[in-house]
Amino acid sequence: MVQAVSGPWGSPDTPAPASAPALADAPHEAITAARVNGTDFLAAQRDNRVKTWVLILVLINLGFFLGYVIGWALEAWGSDSNRFQLAAVSGLGLLGGALLAGIGVVSAGVTLAFGDKLVLSMNGAREVTPEAEPRLHNVVEEMAIAAGLPKPKVYIMESAALNAFATGLSPQKSAIAVTRGLLDTLNREQLQGVVAHEMGHVLNLDTRYMVAVGIMVGLIALVSDVVLRSMRFGSFRSSGSSRRDSKGGGGAAIIVLVIMLVFLILAPIAAQLVRFAVSRQREYLADATSVQLTRNPVGLIGALEVLGAGNTKGPEIGNRATQHLFIVNPLKNFGEKTAALFATHPSIAERIQRLQNLGKA
Amino acid sequence: MTALIVIVVLAVLVIGWVIMTYNRLVALRTQVANGWAQIDVQLKRRYDLIPNLVESVKGYMGHEQDTLRQVIEARNKAASANAGAPATGATAAMIAAEGALSASLGKMFALAEAYPDLKANQSVQQLMEELSTTENKIGFARQFYNDSATNLNTAVQSFPGNLIAGKFGFQNAELWRVSEAERAAVETAPKVSLQR
Repeated sequence: MVQAVSGPWGSPDTPAPASAPALADAPHEAITAARVNGTDFLAAQRDNRVKTWVLILVLINLGFFLGYVIGWALEAWGSDSNRFQLAAVSGLGLLGGALLAGIGVVSAGVTLAFGDKLVLSMNGAREVTPEAEPRLHNVVEEMAIAAGLPKPKVYIMESAALNAFATGLSPQKSAIAVTRGLLDTLNREQLQGVVAHEMGHVLNLDTRYMVAVGIMVGLIALVSDVVLRSMRFGSFRSSGSSRRDSKGGGGAAIIVLVIMLVFLILAPIAAQLVRFAVSRQREYLADATSVQLTRNPVGLIGALEVLGAGNTKGPEIGNRATQHLFIVNPLKNFGEKTAALFATHPSIAERIQRLQNLGKA
Repeated sequence: MTALIVIVVLAVLVIGWVIMTYNRLVALRTQVANGWAQIDVQLKRRYDLIPNLVESVKGYMGHEQDTLRQVIEARNKAASANAGAPATGATAAMIAAEGALSASLGKMFALAEAYPDLKANQSVQQLMEELSTTENKIGFARQFYNDSATNLNTAVQSFPGNLIAGKFGFQNAELWRVSEAERAAVETAPKVSLQR
C-alpha cells in the first residue's frame, strides 16, 4: 500500500480502494510507474503555454483574413466593376482585417482578465464556505496538496445535473465548480476522482487555454454569421444586383463574392475543428493527471460510469461558449464515433477504457 | 580571431548551462522543502484532532478502551518524535512512530463501523471527516514530497548535472517510505465491507 495513500481507510462511505478490480491484478507500484510521472505535467504545461500562443496567433490570422476578404468583397462590389482588379491590395480589405484582428486581440485580452468570473456567473455557480460544504472543501484541498498547488476557490451550481468544471487563468487563481447533483450522488472516492480531473485542468493550464480559444472561435463564428445573414436579407444583394444590372458584367466582383462565401462558411468550421480536437486531447490528459494525483483510477472510473448513466445536462448549466470546460459535455451526448470530429469530449466509454489501461502493464 | 570567437561562444554556452542547471536544482530543492512543510502541517493537525475525537467516541466505544488507549499512546509517541526531529527531513524513529499512529487510527476507524450510534452522531461524524481528510492530506502531501524528492535525486545524480550538484553541495533528499508497522497494520487490518 505504498502509494494507495488516498485514504487507505477513507471515510465510512468509501469503498476500499484495494477491492477494486483494476487494482487487484496489478501491484500498486505499477500504477505510479514511469507511464504517468511528474515530469509529464511540466512538459504538458510548457506545451500548453506555447500552444496557447500559437493557437491565438492562428486564430488572429484567421480573423484578419476573414476581415480582409469581407472588406475586399465590399470594395469589389462597391467599386466600378470594370476597373476593379482582383490582384490589387484592397484598402478596405486591410481595414476590415485590421479591425477584426484588433477586436480579437482586445476581446481575448478582456476575456483573459475577466473570463473566469464570467464563466462562473454564466453557469450560476456560487462560492461556498468550508463550513457549508466541509466534504467538498476537504476533497479540493486534498487534491491541491497532491498537485502541490494553492487551494482553488470552491463553487457550487444549484442543479440536479451531474457535472463539474474548472476555470481560472493561472493555478494561483483558479476555481472548481461542481453541481449539487454531483455532490449528492457520488461517494467520496468518486468525488475525489472528479475534483482531481478538474485539478488536472488547472495544473495543465487548460483553463486559460480553453478560455482564450473559446473567445476567438466565438468571434469568428459571430462575424461569419452576421455577414451571411446580411447577405441573405440585407442591402448587400439588392444594391449589388442593381449595379450589376445597370453596368453588366462584374465577373471579378462575383468571383470575389464566391471566395468570400466559401471563406465565411469554412472559417468558423475550421476554427471549431481546431478547438474540438484540442479539447478532446485535454480531456484525456486531465483524466491521466487525475490518476496521477489520486493514484487510484477506480474513483474516476466509477464517477464516469455514474455520469454516463445519469443526467449530465441541465437548463442551469452549460452553453456553447462554456461546454468544453465541463468534465462531460453538458449539452450533447456523444456516441462512440458519431460526429467524433465535432465532439468537445471523447466518449465516456473510451475514457473509461483508457483509465483501465493505466493500471495494466 | 576566429578561434577567440569560438572560445568566447563556448564559454558563454557553458556558463549559461551552469546557471540554468543550478537554478533548476534550487527550484527542485525548494519544492522538496515545500513538500515537507505541507506534511508537517498536516501531521501537527492530526496530533491536535486525535484527542478530541478519542474524547468524543469514548462514551460510545465502551469495549474498545484498549484500542483508544493505543491511539493516544501512538499519538504522543509520534508527537514527541516529531518534536525531536530536525526541521526538514524525517528521522527513522519519526517515520516508524507516524506509521504506528496511522495503523492504530485505521484500526479505530474500522472498529467504529460496528457502532451505529457513533455513525448517527453529527459531531463525531464531523470529527471523523476531519480526521480522515487529514489522513488523506498526509498521504497526498507525502506523495507530493516523494515525487519532488525523486525529481531532485534524479537531477542530483544524473550526468552532467551531478557535476554542478556536487560542486554546490546539493544532496539527495530522503524519501518517506512506508514503515513496517504501517504495512503490517494494513495487511492485518480487520476486513470491513464498505461497499454500499
